[in-house]
Amino acid sequence: MTTSAIAVREETLEIWDGRLKLRVKVAGDGPPVLFFHPLPGLAWHPLLDLLAQEHTVYAPEHPGTSPGDPKAIEQVQTFTELLLVYEEAVRALGLDRPAVVGQSFGGMVAADLAATFPALPSRLVLLAPIGLWRDDAPIPLMEMVAGPPEDLPGYLFAHPDSAAARATLALPEDPDLMVKAIAQSAWNTGCTTKFAWPIADHGLGRRLHRVAVPTLVVWGREDALVPVAYAREFGDRIAGSRVEVLDDCGHVVQVDQPELTWAVMNEFLAG
Amino acid sequence: MVGWCKTPSPAPKEASVKVSMFEQVPYRYMPDGFENHNSSVVTAPYQVVDPARMTESLFSAYAELLHGARAGFDGIFVTEHSQSSYDISPNPTLLASAVACAARSEGLDVAIGVLGRSLGKTREPLKIAEEYALLDCLSGGRLIAGFPVGLSYDANLNASIPAVETRERYREHRELILRAWSATEPFPWNGRFEKYGQVNVWPRPIQQPSPPVWIPGTGSPGTLRDILQNDYVFVYLSWDGPKLTGREVFDRYWDLAEEMGRDRNPYRLAFLQVVAVSETDERAEQEYAHHLQAHYRSGLGAIPGSAFAVAGYAEPAAIEGMLRGGGPEGMLGRMKTATFKELVDSQVAIVGSPATVADQIQAFVREFRIGNLLVMLQNGSMPRDLTEKNVSLFTEQVLPRLRPIWDDEGWTNHWWPRGSQAATEVVAGAAASGAEA
Repeated sequence: MTTSAIAVREETLEIWDGRLKLRVKVAGDGPPVLFFHPLPGLAWHPLLDLLAQEHTVYAPEHPGTSPGDPKAIEQVQTFTELLLVYEEAVRALGLDRPAVVGQSFGGMVAADLAATFPALPSRLVLLAPIGLWRDDAPIPLMEMVAGPPEDLPGYLFAHPDSAAARATLALPEDPDLMVKAIAQSAWNTGCTTKFAWPIADHGLGRRLHRVAVPTLVVWGREDALVPVAYAREFGDRIAGSRVEVLDDCGHVVQVDQPELTWAVMNEFLAG
Repeated sequence: MVGWCKTPSPAPKEASVKVSMFEQVPYRYMPDGFENHNSSVVTAPYQVVDPARMTESLFSAYAELLHGARAGFDGIFVTEHSQSSYDISPNPTLLASAVACAARSEGLDVAIGVLGRSLGKTREPLKIAEEYALLDCLSGGRLIAGFPVGLSYDANLNASIPAVETRERYREHRELILRAWSATEPFPWNGRFEKYGQVNVWPRPIQQPSPPVWIPGTGSPGTLRDILQNDYVFVYLSWDGPKLTGREVFDRYWDLAEEMGRDRNPYRLAFLQVVAVSETDERAEQEYAHHLQAHYRSGLGAIPGSAFAVAGYAEPAAIEGMLRGGGPEGMLGRMKTATFKELVDSQVAIVGSPATVADQIQAFVREFRIGNLLVMLQNGSMPRDLTEKNVSLFTEQVLPRLRPIWDDEGWTNHWWPRGSQAATEVVAGAAASGAEA
């Protein structure tokens, strides 16, 4: 797989009655794909480069997570408001039925956006989304976020010591940049967990039947954050959806199984 | 019924250093080495508890506080922590109310301080308004109202408040409570977090428009600014060791006070100090060292670092400040392995003979301009008789040397409860007629 970065530009959308300046990273050329990032904020990873080869990728930064604008999170009071913000963003960007892709926290956003606005997306890709809850399969989100930093890789990767896993969590070597990165990542997680704390269940399970577009659900069999039992929960609720469970794969599917993840996504988006 | 019928009369509120007793409510029988495998908060395993010993731990705290009230302290203070082994005080107004009732019935002129119901944590701010108001009435207008944001583990893990909302909630709840206390008519409240159609709390505080407001904190510039802006009292605690962090925090406070046009009245500042007194320095170390060391290791030392600031509790600039350091490193981050010597050297605890203790306290009270002193005399496994000895020695031989420290400057303590002569006389009258019946 290629890791060469495609040129990424940034657009700032003044939306939400002027109260938000939503930053959106944009790259590539082709049919639109809207990407929603996971808890710690937007990191431009190789999967987005691959997507950008044949699509125009639009990746919004969750309110409050854009450096220099931490207070923006106060402008979005509820998860419902967050969905309205993104629906406005899609219109402000002039996107006509983008494919919507979301990972983990972003998967919950993507799924609920598609359930709340069934005509908004053309397709839906959910990479190990949060958003549902089963008492027999608790999601240790609070334990991960508030636990010791050294435990984090174990929640995210099937092979926490792999080069790919380490590269994903690597901090800048420059001490000043490292401090900034840690602080930003912690704040970002605070901004996203505002809508996922302590249990990320906003009733999505009662709305998922409204999703009206082809849907792909991708999960790692060894997911230690959101147990693989949830793959079927999503699959069963979204009519006609396709569920792909990847072996030897943890929560961040594109790091543990980059080729397989891209293969199923690419085929689904082209179909 | 000696004591019950004693005619109480609030002492004249001369401006002297106010010295109060603060106590946490630890389980006193924590196993050795608990901190090596467990957290003292959130997930602290209850299996270590023997129910009879829990009863004893809770009752001893009450008895010791009452002993302190009788021994002559100006105020009795407690605070709030949930799901914790080192301070089993999920609602401090319960304990405060028991002490307030006992103190009233014995005619003791003692302030009742609640260092905090956490306003960033609560989902029922009007309950706090009502409970504080009730305490103010019960105590005859002697409540000090602590309004802390709340520790991150307590607000964000125990109460599961989203961390980024903690301070927004704090601001709304404080505004609501203060308004509810002095409103003359029922009013609707359409807040971001709370919606009420008719706010009309019963009772209202005797002290109007509000009992004195004290705000405990770690000394971040934002908190200090808020305190000075609103003319509240800043409460700093000795956990980080005032020898290490006091200079920076107190200087910041007084510099900000000057910048904001506030005077240098020492009663704007309260400080909580751990103290252990015995007949001699040697005996003090023999009697207290193991209790102190074990308590700070198994209590504060067993709070995971990540639980002090759950992601979102502090803004990026504040986290960067913490990570960059620059300021002195306090003891809080290394309590898990703290030795008795480190606790004493950093002055987390002041331990020794009455003369040693008085000398050290006098020195920093003067140096940092502290007008309201809180002393914590019980720690962890300390049994009741040792705690009461500590209380007696402190009140008899240390406290008298502290009161006059600011006499030469002539400031007025605007942040001490005014008390109510009328309410006091009513209680005395009811007590007298009850005794006759």
